[in-house]
Amino acid sequence: MKILRLSLFNLKKNKREVMGILFMTMITTLMLSIVFINEKKIDSAFYESFKESGCVENCIAIKTDKYRNEFKRILEEELGTDDITEARLIESTLTDVYTPDGDIVAYNFVYVTEKTERKMESFKKLDQLPEEEIAELEHPIWIPAAFQIVKGYEPGGSFTVLKNAKEYSFTIAGVYETGLMSSDGYSYKLVLSEEDYELFRMIFSSLSSAESVGLFFDGPGPDYEAYLEKCNEAASENISYSASYYSYGYEKDNETMFLEIFMYMFILLAVVTMVAALFMIRHKISGDIEDQMINIGVLEALGYRSHEISLAYLYEYMITGLAGSVLGLIIALLLTPFVNSVIRVMLGRNVYGAEGIGGGILAALMVSVVVTLFALLKTRTVKDYPPVVALRKGIKTHHFGRNLLPLEKLGADINTGLALKGFMGNLKASFGICICIVTAGAAMLFSVMSFDFFKDGAGNLVKMMQRDTDTLDLCVVSGVDPEMIKDEVLRLPQVRKALCGYSHGNVSVKGSPDSALVNAYADYNDAENITPYKGRCPQYDNEVMVGMRRSRTENINLGDSIILENNGLEKSYIVTGIVGSMENGGTVVYLTTKGYERININARPDAVHVYPAEGVGIPELEAAIREHFGGTAEDAAVTASSGSSEDRIRKAAKEKISVLLDQYGVTSVDYAVQIGDRTITGNSRSFVIKEINSYEGIIKTQMVPIAEMTKIFTLLAMILIAVIVAVLLMIITANDVRRQRHSLGIMKGLGYSSKDLMTQIALKLMPVILAGVLLATVAAVYLNRVFWGLAFATIAVTNVPLILITDVLLIIFCYVVAFLSAGRIKKISVTELMTE
Amino acid sequence: MASSILRTEKLCKSFSNGGVQQHVIKNLDLEILQGDFTVIMGSSGSGKSTLLYALSGMDKPNMGKVLFGDTEIQGYSNDELAVFRRGNCGFVFQSIYLLDNQTVLDNVLTAALIVQKNSPELVDKAKSLLKKTGLTEEDLKKYPNQLSGGEAQRVGIVRAIINDPKILFADEPTGQLNSASGKDVLDIFSQVHKNGQSIVMVTHDLKTALRATRVLYLRDGGIVGDYRMPVFGEDDEKERRAGLTAFLEEMGW
Repeated sequence: MKILRLSLFNLKKNKREVMGILFMTMITTLMLSIVFINEKKIDSAFYESFKESGCVENCIAIKTDKYRNEFKRILEEELGTDDITEARLIESTLTDVYTPDGDIVAYNFVYVTEKTERKMESFKKLDQLPEEEIAELEHPIWIPAAFQIVKGYEPGGSFTVLKNAKEYSFTIAGVYETGLMSSDGYSYKLVLSEEDYELFRMIFSSLSSAESVGLFFDGPGPDYEAYLEKCNEAASENISYSASYYSYGYEKDNETMFLEIFMYMFILLAVVTMVAALFMIRHKISGDIEDQMINIGVLEALGYRSHEISLAYLYEYMITGLAGSVLGLIIALLLTPFVNSVIRVMLGRNVYGAEGIGGGILAALMVSVVVTLFALLKTRTVKDYPPVVALRKGIKTHHFGRNLLPLEKLGADINTGLALKGFMGNLKASFGICICIVTAGAAMLFSVMSFDFFKDGAGNLVKMMQRDTDTLDLCVVSGVDPEMIKDEVLRLPQVRKALCGYSHGNVSVKGSPDSALVNAYADYNDAENITPYKGRCPQYDNEVMVGMRRSRTENINLGDSIILENNGLEKSYIVTGIVGSMENGGTVVYLTTKGYERININARPDAVHVYPAEGVGIPELEAAIREHFGGTAEDAAVTASSGSSEDRIRKAAKEKISVLLDQYGVTSVDYAVQIGDRTITGNSRSFVIKEINSYEGIIKTQMVPIAEMTKIFTLLAMILIAVIVAVLLMIITANDVRRQRHSLGIMKGLGYSSKDLMTQIALKLMPVILAGVLLATVAAVYLNRVFWGLAFATIAVTNVPLILITDVLLIIFCYVVAFLSAGRIKKISVTELMTE
Repeated sequence: MASSILRTEKLCKSFSNGGVQQHVIKNLDLEILQGDFTVIMGSSGSGKSTLLYALSGMDKPNMGKVLFGDTEIQGYSNDELAVFRRGNCGFVFQSIYLLDNQTVLDNVLTAALIVQKNSPELVDKAKSLLKKTGLTEEDLKKYPNQLSGGEAQRVGIVRAIINDPKILFADEPTGQLNSASGKDVLDIFSQVHKNGQSIVMVTHDLKTALRATRVLYLRDGGIVGDYRMPVFGEDDEKERRAGLTAFLEEMGW
């Protein structure tokens, strides 16, 4: 009890240091609690939401025009079950819709009828209009919960799909719980009426089938690549590009990826604060023991055993650690509703299930135990001071060693010289400070780099796509010469540049489970956003450049040969470059146009990539092109029932022409329709563009939210780390002043001003801060590379000037904090010291 | 007549003790002359050390003036006082107060380099002064814990005079030394004084006071006696002692 009283006295005496350690342990526990409580919750939230929806765990969708009944049989054999449900659905990629704010964004959608929905899941309605109102709706639509949680749509509001410059407006009947097809990365499922489903089937299937046969089943799912191979064999054609696979695992990985990244960031911050807390404890215990050496000697002389005295210190840190842990846990629990809403928004799912307080308690216990064990190890040093040694203030404090940096050889000013002497005389403690600065500095620099990357939105993320995304891609009608379109487009004032290319391109890489999306350019000097990480872009038809992830996972290096496969054809290519591309998870391959035609002998350029002129936006460019070309073949493929009989005849004729052009390879059509004495004539010359696509919408839906979230998170992390560094330096400096109080008093007596001594204390830390910041920079650059490589399969952008500026600011910040923290020197009175 | 180097007017210094003001120095007027070796004596608690700290700019008075030449220093901030001290005052402490993590030479240079730039001449001067006090070349490399009390105080004196202060203050410099060491230290003070150094010293010791040219007696925060020692020859120690003893007896010492 007496020992405990001594601990409480120490706590009261060193309030500032105690508060610092308490703050660090609190932050550590808070971070770890958030991770421990929510790591499981993220999994369970996804699982519970999925379970609530009653959704099957897998769906393989194959385009109806490619689908064969054998495919279902093959799947049954693969899975060893006949419990596979079959239903139809429509898939549309990068489809524009209006947000509730009137902005246009793009998503991948899957459209189903209620009948299909009920085959797939239990169609659990979460929020809806009254049934009688729904019954009166002309175009009702049911949206997934994510659209209400994240995107802000509400029942009763309108939901407008834009397709080929036409608007298809629906009224939101309600919101339902969704299992599969509820993520930005894959698609969102919308439930339509039978009539609207038919309309969309026509709209999206006008030129090629958008409707698929969905095979729904539970369980772990098949080896998808092997299944496709069997289907290809059965069909004697490659159906890989007409099939999609949706699964619980893919969906979960996609939706939880960023939450997981944030959890890792929390762990990183927890490590920083824990290291800082442990270092502060070590520093403070050493200081306390040195400071109270005489008291220790007296207590020992009075009969206290060294371990009893150690306990006085130990209790101090046990109490501090426990208080910090409990506070951290309480804050973590108070933050639970907020964290739940973040999880809800980031998953786009309602959070069900237990809160997982156990994880928080575990985190608090862990922190308390680590603090106690560390303090125990350090406080045991009391036994090194028997009474006689302690009463002599510890023989270890006496100096017998070599005089490092003798003042007679001093070149710098005296404050710098004494600071360096102080640093050299305390190298052991400097090591601990260095570790703290390295961890905190690395976390700070990593946060700064991430913040800088996202500060202007998704622009830099888009650059990592390693393809030209700021373009409008015109897919031309079969038989139309894209070079001709390119020349015509180039005459528009809104156009800066135009390149011919391919609208779609997929090949397989022999021996690889991942097929490859092809990017092809005649000359890569024309590409504006493709920069190899290693090597160079392909120049000849037997050269290829691969994405970084493929390079790493398949051990493909410069100079290696890889074999590309397409429709039974195999061709060898030499790897000339590796590029940090995020596109398709880094599995993309880059070929020259000639190189692509080697492996796809039927491939002919069928697209024009149009680059807008300076100051021209993509919507403005699209409007100009539509005006110039009078719409696309897709626009014409959907007939409207309104208009005069001549209009209807012309539209019907255009519809037929567009189908002939696209699906039958017809290159030119002339028609004449005789009605009485009137002849209505026309031709296919106005049909040149099949469809127009851009990346703008998908960038807004998939990349901008990531950029915004990361920006906010990294900004908060920077502030937190700055506070941690400030607290750490404040404690170190305060402790230093306390330990050197005697010497500092003498120096004051000799005529050193408080400012001189504050300068010395701050300068004494500078060598270790400089070394720490240097090491932190190396660590942060490495961490940044690893992070971007693992998370996005791409190369991190290293902004060297920013890093250097941050380093300098960090060093200045440390100096200023140390200098100001040393301000308690002012309170040291020379006369008090002398009259002690 | 020697000129005045330090002067006080109505100097007051009090301390708060449990809410009660204790007036230690009360309206004290004093003048220290250039080249004098002034000793301040008095019983314990009479305010000797408090007066010394106020005179040397180590502490600020509550009221009154401290004039160093024509410069009033009582209104200086702590940092201004530090700058004042480094340029004008040397201080020898009873507890010596060497910096225990620095060698003998570095202790002296620490005081010197805050005022002067480093130069071979400065280092030579420091070494020379240290050697004049009887320390060896080897001693200069030692740390304070490797020195005897007398040796340490010699370092303390050299440290105090290295910047050629206008006035040297000493607070019972022999208080912690044995008589042999004390004598050596006092010899150094005498030598320094002979070289023209003004000294103000607080002491309880009669032998120390005998070295002075002037003895002030302090009681209840005021100077109650001011005795100028007669200038005798080397052989007149007895007479000097008799005169001083008489003065002190008169003061009730």
